[in-house]
Amino acid sequence: MTGTDSPRHTGSGGNAPPPPAIEVLDPGVQTTVQEYPGRLGLQRRGLFPAGPADHLAFRLANVLAGNPEGTAALEIPAGRFAARLRRRGTVALCGADGAKPTLNGRAVPLWESVPVAPGDLLVCRTARGPGFRLYLAVSGGFTVPRVLGSRATHTVGAIGGFEGRALVRGDLLDGMPAGPAPARLRVPPPLRPVYGRHWEVEVMRGPHDPPEFFTEEAWAQFRTTAWRVDLGSDRLSTRLNAHTFAWPRSDGGVAGSHPSNVLDVSFPLGGVVINGDVPMILGPDGPTSGGFAVVATVVHAAVWRVGQLRPGHDTVRFREIDAEEAVPLARHMEYPLDPRHLEQLP
Amino acid sequence: MAATATIGVTGPAGGWPAVTYRQAGDQYVMIEYGEHELDLRLNFLVVSVLDRLTTDPPPGLVEAAPGLRSILVRFDPRRTGRDALIERLRATHDAQPDITSLVLPSRVITLPIAFDDTSCREAVRRYVTTIRPDAANTAGGSNIDYIVEQTGFPTAEALYAAVTGTELWTAFTGFAPGLPFLLPLEPGLGLSVPKYNPTRGWTAEGSVGLGGPCAAIYPVESPGSYQLLGRTVPIYDMVGHHPAFATDPFLVRPADRVHFTRVSERELRDARKQVFEGRYRYRIAEEPFSVADHLARWGHDPSRAAGTGAG
Repeated sequence: MTGTDSPRHTGSGGNAPPPPAIEVLDPGVQTTVQEYPGRLGLQRRGLFPAGPADHLAFRLANVLAGNPEGTAALEIPAGRFAARLRRRGTVALCGADGAKPTLNGRAVPLWESVPVAPGDLLVCRTARGPGFRLYLAVSGGFTVPRVLGSRATHTVGAIGGFEGRALVRGDLLDGMPAGPAPARLRVPPPLRPVYGRHWEVEVMRGPHDPPEFFTEEAWAQFRTTAWRVDLGSDRLSTRLNAHTFAWPRSDGGVAGSHPSNVLDVSFPLGGVVINGDVPMILGPDGPTSGGFAVVATVVHAAVWRVGQLRPGHDTVRFREIDAEEAVPLARHMEYPLDPRHLEQLP
Repeated sequence: MAATATIGVTGPAGGWPAVTYRQAGDQYVMIEYGEHELDLRLNFLVVSVLDRLTTDPPPGLVEAAPGLRSILVRFDPRRTGRDALIERLRATHDAQPDITSLVLPSRVITLPIAFDDTSCREAVRRYVTTIRPDAANTAGGSNIDYIVEQTGFPTAEALYAAVTGTELWTAFTGFAPGLPFLLPLEPGLGLSVPKYNPTRGWTAEGSVGLGGPCAAIYPVESPGSYQLLGRTVPIYDMVGHHPAFATDPFLVRPADRVHFTRVSERELRDARKQVFEGRYRYRIAEEPFSVADHLARWGHDPSRAAGTGAG
């Protein structure tokens, strides 16, 4: 790669089109354009909302880049990504520790606004944890077309984002339109989400709970086990290690021969489905329905942690809370999203 | 700590089944109708209530999505409390007419099907090669022999006649973008088969399968666990090249009826080519569905025998 701009985007006079925001040099594993809260209202047609797997880091990156928190930004699994910046503006990186991002070879911090200029080279390395997904927001956002009401990429439906797919080397993404530079902000360390290897995720029991669909013994095992996050986890679902639960029924009756079978229901996002003997947490591109019991549902305040579980490495425990506890937890989680609660940088 | 996920129960009363409200995290409530049984009347209620929630949404409703006998309601806790939402849902139920007087918006969609076609056999071949060589449902290089054996039809021809001879009710769409779950409107037809174990890695777009008590059409190339019957024309077109998809990328809606007509594989190939060239004419007729007429024709019993689907 060279340090100069490609000729077709450097023309300053005449009718040259404005340069793209970034040119992708290394797309990483499955980098996608996302938007929050994504494509709502289409679950009945078979589409989960898509959107970021960790909406907290995603929304914080946007706030730091001076955007409304839902603005289109990049989700970078495992951290690896490199791009040439083509416009002047502000960027922000939030999420997985360990990506060690650099701008023109110099380290840049996560959780902080970073001014950029045309020609700057942004490189993020594979993050080995803690955490799994990194988010890159640019001031003004990425201007990909809306599809069915959202810019979020739905990987299964192959819609939204950049041509309905993950980025590849050479993609040019529009965005970062000129505007007044936003105030430079930093998320102070006490307000940053805490990452680790062994996670705790708050759930509410049900909709399919003991004694009708699950035994009390199975529910106790579910709550006390440290579940290993399977390597086969993705934006569809986070799979946990197989476990043979005890069920109150010998089979699913009319719904099927396995006792985890129920007559097909629409699934909640963050629902923990027992698929035969495999518990899985439904992610933003997951199946919208199925014939399996949903024994617990991750509460809004904890959904972001599911997006940071590292496949093949991390463990997760489920802590049961009730509806009353979920309300203050959600408020607490969203506190740093208000720019007034962030640190102003000179 | 909530001792149970059940947060409300009503009935049964006034011609209505029992309604159970279950928590599903802090942003969803699942509404369940009646008992854990396959009764199409419960699905007619689902369709009717879902329609009502669309035209007259409770404050704070984000969206509602159906199941066979349930509705999942997503709400915004900043705009409504859970208790207030359930009160509104109860009122919605109270305002519903008696089940026997329901007339549901519905269309009859006639689709061609080529049974046991090359793409289904290719999916089976890949499964045998890469996932499981010895499964009973893949004997003979397709799923047909297994479906015939499990359903008890005397021959494949008799199975095909049963599939093309009944109207299939779209109980709901979901799982994948635009995927319809279809149940025969004729009770006791016996189209129930266990699903793949384990799941198949690849299914051609347009495949028609049977799994548990349902039939389904695969809108996109995907994994799957339904036994493959054959293939039809595309039912999902995100790009909207074909005029049938200009305003809606999903061909089949809940409460639509699907009727398959048998074609040869060559005829299907030609039809699919016409779809891609924008020339194919989908056969779709608006025809409201009268629950009273259905019950008069088929009786009041739960519409189907017990299924045998596997997980």
